[in-house]
Amino acid sequence: MIPDLPKPVDIAVPLFVAAILAEMWIVQRRNRAAYEPRDTLTSLILGFGNTVAGAMTAGAAGAVAMWTYEYRLVTIGWTWWAWITAFVAYDLSYYWAHRAGHRIRWFWASHVIHHSSQHYNLSTALRQTWTGFIGLSFIFSMPLFFLGFHPAMIAFCAGLNLIYQFWIHTEAIDRMPRWFEWMFNTPSHHRVHHATNPRYLDANYAGVFMLWDRMFGSFTPEDDVDPIRYGLVRQLGSFNILWAATHEWVGIARDLRRAPWQAKLGYIVMPPGWSHDGSRDTSDSIKARWRDREQPRGESRSPMPEAAE
Amino acid sequence: MATLPGWVMLVVKFGGSLLAIFAIAWLVKRMGLGKGYERIRDEAHAIALAEEAEFGFGGVAADVDAAGYGAIVRNATGVMLLVRAHGNRFAARRIDAGFTARLDRNRLWLQSGERAFGSVELDFGGRASVIASRLRTVI
Repeated sequence: MIPDLPKPVDIAVPLFVAAILAEMWIVQRRNRAAYEPRDTLTSLILGFGNTVAGAMTAGAAGAVAMWTYEYRLVTIGWTWWAWITAFVAYDLSYYWAHRAGHRIRWFWASHVIHHSSQHYNLSTALRQTWTGFIGLSFIFSMPLFFLGFHPAMIAFCAGLNLIYQFWIHTEAIDRMPRWFEWMFNTPSHHRVHHATNPRYLDANYAGVFMLWDRMFGSFTPEDDVDPIRYGLVRQLGSFNILWAATHEWVGIARDLRRAPWQAKLGYIVMPPGWSHDGSRDTSDSIKARWRDREQPRGESRSPMPEAAE
Repeated sequence: MATLPGWVMLVVKFGGSLLAIFAIAWLVKRMGLGKGYERIRDEAHAIALAEEAEFGFGGVAADVDAAGYGAIVRNATGVMLLVRAHGNRFAARRIDAGFTARLDRNRLWLQSGERAFGSVELDFGGRASVIASRLRTVI
């Protein structure tokens, strides 16, 4: 029998609000520039839009999940070990969804909204996609349903995963204890993920467990000699909410219209910034230039993230 | 105990969220967060900001607006980058044929080709006409 599970994120909303207020209080004393009123309002409204979009597409996403579950290999059930396995397995699927979200432009078009702020505070955590369903990131969870995890169990674990990721969007915490930094995603690791400095591009995709980045070669530690700048390689320069939510989709549409036929698919499946004539920068080309400049000087003390293929 | 209809719950949920959003945004302003905007201090600062905005840009010279709100940075190949304040951070765009420029005495008005990036009005003092004529090579 399917248990009547609550929605973890709904329950956590008061905690989100309380944590943001606490961070604002800290920031007021330490670094007022960590917040910007228009940026905060943009982030919060984008978060609200994500809730509305999620409510509108939840039925369709649930139907796809249940359809996949109908063809499951085994029925895993609702035992305690199933919950633990589901949580870890979902986190692994999240890692690959997130990595694809940075390396494949179609997925990036949906995810870019989360990186569009030049600030890094708890309100940034709520800057979430409006186009997740179109972005198709849910396909990365489908193997879990096919294996036999019930969609309701995975949805619950996804909620917990999202709640975990809220608190790491802050500069108010420097480093956690060493063992914690090794095992879990932390503010330091996730600051790197939101950075635009060439050294840090395309790194630290983990949701909860840092193990995945260490295993799959995408881990980069924060280096205090290279202070982090946040946002996008090409900053939006706008607080327009609709533009933040849709600009990459508009970019894809424009590129598809202009590109020669043989190049059109590339503008959908290649990394963000890819162009058929090589006239634009990708994160790989920026990192390559950075390596060329820094490594002969011996200044690259941190391991570079592997280019995600 | 009777429960509220689903649509009422939804209105309460979304209405409550919106109230919280505007309350937090108001509080951010009320607490003075975001104040102390950084401005472009000098040419070296403008060149550094251009490099941050576009790694490898290699700025060699810059004209900085009197208020430090924006700057036009040039590299060795003559490519120009507009750097301007965005809240308490900076954003930049290469100046290309998509830009529109207008000179009004010491002030130069620049409109990028992107509507969302918008326009900027910069006070370059007596150098404004020289900068404007330099812009004519690309705009």
